[in-house]
Amino acid sequence: MKTNNCGPLMACVTAILVIAVVLPLQSATVKSSGSGTSAGWSVQVDQVNPGTLDLSYSFQAAIYENLVDELKKTKQFQQVLREGDHRASEVPKLLVLKTTVEKYTAGSETRRAVTTLSGATKLTVRSQLLTREGKVVLERTVNGDVRFFGSNLRATHNLARNIAKTLKESSWPEGDQPAATLTGQL
Amino acid sequence: MQKNGASDVTNHDVSVKSSDTSWGVLYAPLLAGNTAIGGIMDRSVFPRNQRNACRFHRRAGMRLLVALICCGLAAAAQNTTQREASESFSIRATHLMGFESAKSNCTGTLSIQDDFLQFQQTGKTSVHINIGSVRDVFLGEESRQVGGLPLTIGEAAVPYGGGRVVSLFAHKKYDILTLEYVDSDGGIHGAIFQLDKGQGEVAKRELTAHGVVISSREDQSKHTAVEVRYENK
Repeated sequence: MKTNNCGPLMACVTAILVIAVVLPLQSATVKSSGSGTSAGWSVQVDQVNPGTLDLSYSFQAAIYENLVDELKKTKQFQQVLREGDHRASEVPKLLVLKTTVEKYTAGSETRRAVTTLSGATKLTVRSQLLTREGKVVLERTVNGDVRFFGSNLRATHNLARNIAKTLKESSWPEGDQPAATLTGQL
Repeated sequence: MQKNGASDVTNHDVSVKSSDTSWGVLYAPLLAGNTAIGGIMDRSVFPRNQRNACRFHRRAGMRLLVALICCGLAAAAQNTTQREASESFSIRATHLMGFESAKSNCTGTLSIQDDFLQFQQTGKTSVHINIGSVRDVFLGEESRQVGGLPLTIGEAAVPYGGGRVVSLFAHKKYDILTLEYVDSDGGIHGAIFQLDKGQGEVAKRELTAHGVVISSREDQSKHTAVEVRYENK
């Protein structure tokens, strides 16, 4: 009788163990296949378009510089080129990253330190990955902010990190002529 | 010999010409009433032409002196100009990001040496760019907390929220200098420096003096202190 009771329990534990081992492996496979879509691609980062907003040039430059740094860190692209780089014309598989600022809340470091709750600097941008021909491969709306500690420019660092993370987690169709446009929000 | 007048004449100008030199004597009797000509001619005798020559030499000397002074002044002015041109403009700055391979958030010296804008981190080798590669300069303003992390921790440790009061006064205004330049491949860079208040204008002026063209685009970071929400519709 005792052995009969242990059988289902053992089966249950085994099943749980199998699920626990197999599922992460499966997700890892999916993840690797997802990030594999950018293999061989290079990206050219364009300067930030402030749109109609009165965004200071230091912020625009900071987003641009942080974006170049963060994209290099991810090692997702073969090359990360800057706008105006002559070498871009020689790169066969090139994507262009365009960033347009949609919302900007100017914060204050002093106000953050004094009140904790207010004074956050917030940025919302629309990031687009385009082919050389101008076709949109990927489009995302990404946020970046600084709420507690750090200077206002830290918001640009957080934003760039979020954009790089979004691009890394996204996938787009292979080939020079992408069939669909993926849109979303982080 | 010459006689200037009759008996009422008191002065006699006597001159003797000998070879090329004419000697002149101004004779004045010792006593007013003594009109005798041929009195003791014990007055000073001086060569008349030599006096002219002396005058000529004096004038020439004066001219030479003036010329020398002018040359000296011109040379001094030229030296000053050359020194101003070659003298390195140098200010303390904190590199926030984007200037070549310089480390971010490090303090050093931003200077202009000949045609190069260079940043030297304290105790490290300098990095530089050609001033000709700078496409634009933007000047902004930012208010930042002073004291860094130690003060932040200290403020947090003050009981009853006393740290917030400290925060209220522990901030300082800085100038933010943003440079847009291109590298050797044509890629655009944006370098951001934090300078002491008032130094940004000096740096901008120096860069302009070295041929950097500043566009009409204005940096709006002076408005960052105001909490405004902008939205693209």
